[in-house]
Amino acid sequence: MNSTAADTDIAVPRGQTEGSYLTDGYSVRSWLLSTDHKRIAMLYLASITFFFFIGGAAAALVRLNLIVPEGLLGSAEAYNRLFTMHGVIMVWFFLVPAVPVTLGNFMIPLMLGARDLAFPRLNLLSWYLFMAGGVVTLWALFSGGLDTGWTFYTPLSTAYAKGHVVMAVVGIFISGFSSIATGLNFIVTIHQLRAPGLTWYRLPVFIWSMYSLSVLLVLATPVLAITLVLLAFERLFHIGIFDPAIGGDPLLFQHLFWFYSHPAVYMMILPGFGVVSEIIPAFARKSLFGYKFVVWASVSIAVISFFVWGHHMYVAGTSLYSALLFSILSYLVAVPSAIKVFNWLGTLHKGYISFDAPMLYALGFVGLFTIGGLTGLWVAALAADVHLTQTYFVVAHFHYIMVGAMVSAFFGGLHYWWPKITGRMYPEMWARIAALIMFIGFNLTFFPQFILGYLGMPRRYFSYPPEFQVLNVLSSAGATILAAAYLLPLGYLVWSLLYGDKAPANPWRATGLEWKTPSPPPTVNFLVTPVVTTGPYEYPPPERTSG
Amino acid sequence: MTAGSGLPHEFQYADASHQANTAIAGMWLFLATEVLLFGGLILCWIYSRHWNPVGFDAGARQTALWIGTLNTALLITSSFLYALGVAFMRVGNARALIHCLVLTLMLALAFLVLKFGLEYRDDFARHLFPTATRFALTGAEAAGGRLFFIFYFLGTGLHGIHMLVGMGLLVWIIRRARRGEFSPQYYTPVEVVGLYWSFVDLVWLTLYPLIYLVGRG
Amino acid sequence: MSVQSPKQSLRTEVARLVRLWVLLLLVGAVEFGASFLPLGHLGRPLIMIPAIAMIGLVAFGFMNVTKGPVIVRTFAVAALFWLLILLALGSVDPLTRVNYTVPTPDQR
Repeated sequence: MNSTAADTDIAVPRGQTEGSYLTDGYSVRSWLLSTDHKRIAMLYLASITFFFFIGGAAAALVRLNLIVPEGLLGSAEAYNRLFTMHGVIMVWFFLVPAVPVTLGNFMIPLMLGARDLAFPRLNLLSWYLFMAGGVVTLWALFSGGLDTGWTFYTPLSTAYAKGHVVMAVVGIFISGFSSIATGLNFIVTIHQLRAPGLTWYRLPVFIWSMYSLSVLLVLATPVLAITLVLLAFERLFHIGIFDPAIGGDPLLFQHLFWFYSHPAVYMMILPGFGVVSEIIPAFARKSLFGYKFVVWASVSIAVISFFVWGHHMYVAGTSLYSALLFSILSYLVAVPSAIKVFNWLGTLHKGYISFDAPMLYALGFVGLFTIGGLTGLWVAALAADVHLTQTYFVVAHFHYIMVGAMVSAFFGGLHYWWPKITGRMYPEMWARIAALIMFIGFNLTFFPQFILGYLGMPRRYFSYPPEFQVLNVLSSAGATILAAAYLLPLGYLVWSLLYGDKAPANPWRATGLEWKTPSPPPTVNFLVTPVVTTGPYEYPPPERTSG
Repeated sequence: MTAGSGLPHEFQYADASHQANTAIAGMWLFLATEVLLFGGLILCWIYSRHWNPVGFDAGARQTALWIGTLNTALLITSSFLYALGVAFMRVGNARALIHCLVLTLMLALAFLVLKFGLEYRDDFARHLFPTATRFALTGAEAAGGRLFFIFYFLGTGLHGIHMLVGMGLLVWIIRRARRGEFSPQYYTPVEVVGLYWSFVDLVWLTLYPLIYLVGRG
Repeated sequence: MSVQSPKQSLRTEVARLVRLWVLLLLVGAVEFGASFLPLGHLGRPLIMIPAIAMIGLVAFGFMNVTKGPVIVRTFAVAALFWLLILLALGSVDPLTRVNYTVPTPDQR
């Protein structure tokens, strides 16, 4: 059976006209106590949107401060607390969860032909843990905050920092359990709940990406947990395992922290790879080029990402041999990412491309990720990093990947699956405008930062030499445009919930089991468990005539 | 475990056997996360002992070897008793399961009393808590000694918390068994908790030599 | 397993578990005894060898890591592999670094 779905493929019994997961109970209780993965995904969507705007507000204040060389806010202390708040919220309460807990939670069972995740109650617990961690962290940040940066390096965080270190750390600790639970749920689900005929090599790349991401979640996050416990102990008891006064090694903190945090950045980008690998074939009407390469590249990234953490510590005082080893391994981890970029390009080549909003975001992803990834290689080189570390070059590098690429991918995925999730079409023209504004605003914000870093402007400084002002003002101007680009979708997506066109089951005529259910899906996803007989991405050859 | 035809199961599973295997897989994956949690502590042990060879081992010599060794024997026996209980449950003998689990619980309680009631009290009395101003070790041994006891209290404390959770799970299984909820066809929760319990034993089997034996040469 | 009555299979299982228990206590005793050997500072961690044996006995004998679904083995191997990465790659730095120590306050 051809897997480009027509309406006759929908597994809904005749006679059922109404009824989706959205209409299955209207009380607050039915939402807050729901174990339906789709409702939990929506709860998460509300949460991460909220955190995104808080982290964004902190970023806005940071960029506001930097429009004059002496620092507009007038206080280094306030500035330090702002960038710490920005980092902590964006890393743990937006980027790490974003795609997995919203799009992942929603789509994984649908893509697998399953009725829910393996452990639905654990899924609900994940959300409550996430919210609990978020509340505690926000409390810490809004009752004065802390000035350590999101990296909490010792001995600043354990001995000298002013602020609510322990409270923030407790909040992050709690949210870590949410991550672990989600990752565990996804891995077990993907192993155990695939529909009949859905062999591993028939899985969409989004699933492989979620699987790889989940490996990172379950294996790296526990190390963060123990590191935060050690940090809190040392802060509370004024003595600890990182304390050089008793022979402790402050670098041990960095080793433990980055053992988690480097895989964490891959946790943030792997879902983006997955989303883009779904969007590009759909809007190029062509099968994903080199499916197995993309799949094994994702798995390799998950594995190798654990071997490279020392590249955050080249100048921290580790041995040269350790630094050399980590540098070599860091070059290795770039290879699978590059493979994927080539495969996406190969998919586009000779495809029948349409520039709908999801595709615009996906294309933006490919370009911006390439720039971000390549600049990563620059800082992975020992000699270059001696000059570039702790400058705005590094800031630009990771923002190109996390904001340029990953946030684009998140918006792309949100738009791509919006019809499925909400049963409504978003307004295409506004979406394209927002995507374009985002691309322009993003580059205006962060490209000058590459130059600033190259010229030597350090990061995390609230003031700077006057010769850097022009580039800083350009960057801050870009940030206002970027803010507009983020607010626009908030506006028109909410509008579409009320006034958007009703979406068909498969508005993009894409492949994948999720498009074989109605938009929005019923609570049980599939009334009849689908049987899969084809590979993923089996798009028919392009039509020569219209219609 | 027999095929689960006809047995109740959650709606997202094909049958009860499918759900049972999934639960066991899920618990093993959770235990994998715990390995990494304690793994971070072991890295701390490696660093601390490497940088402070004299003091670290001197600290280790202050530990109460007989309590540690006795506790190890108690935990090994508790793992044995739990597995014994599962074996009885497999043939349907829920009463024997309950007896085995109650014994397991008692051994766990004995462990905690020895560790926290006796050993910790003794440690505090001998000024071994690392923040103590009159710390038991002085001179060249003081720094490493304090580091050792940071590792000791965090490691055994974390392990103790896991044991408390495990004891809560034991009580839960005992109560369910007494209500007759298990049969030879369905005793997955018993197995899953057993995995957790044996894992807590594994953690202790790792901590025991690192704390009590390595530094004692 | 050949056709055994449940009672017989229970008996074999109990016997197996008792053997495991005794073996564990024995290896534990060996580990305890070995701690009195003069192994030197670098040799002391070799005491982990009997400990690892005991861990294996518990994992294979009580937790039945090889008897459940296949992914259980994958998870267990993955946990060990990543633990080794953390410990080995994490140890490269201290093993190759020269630390210049400062006298501690207690020593002054």
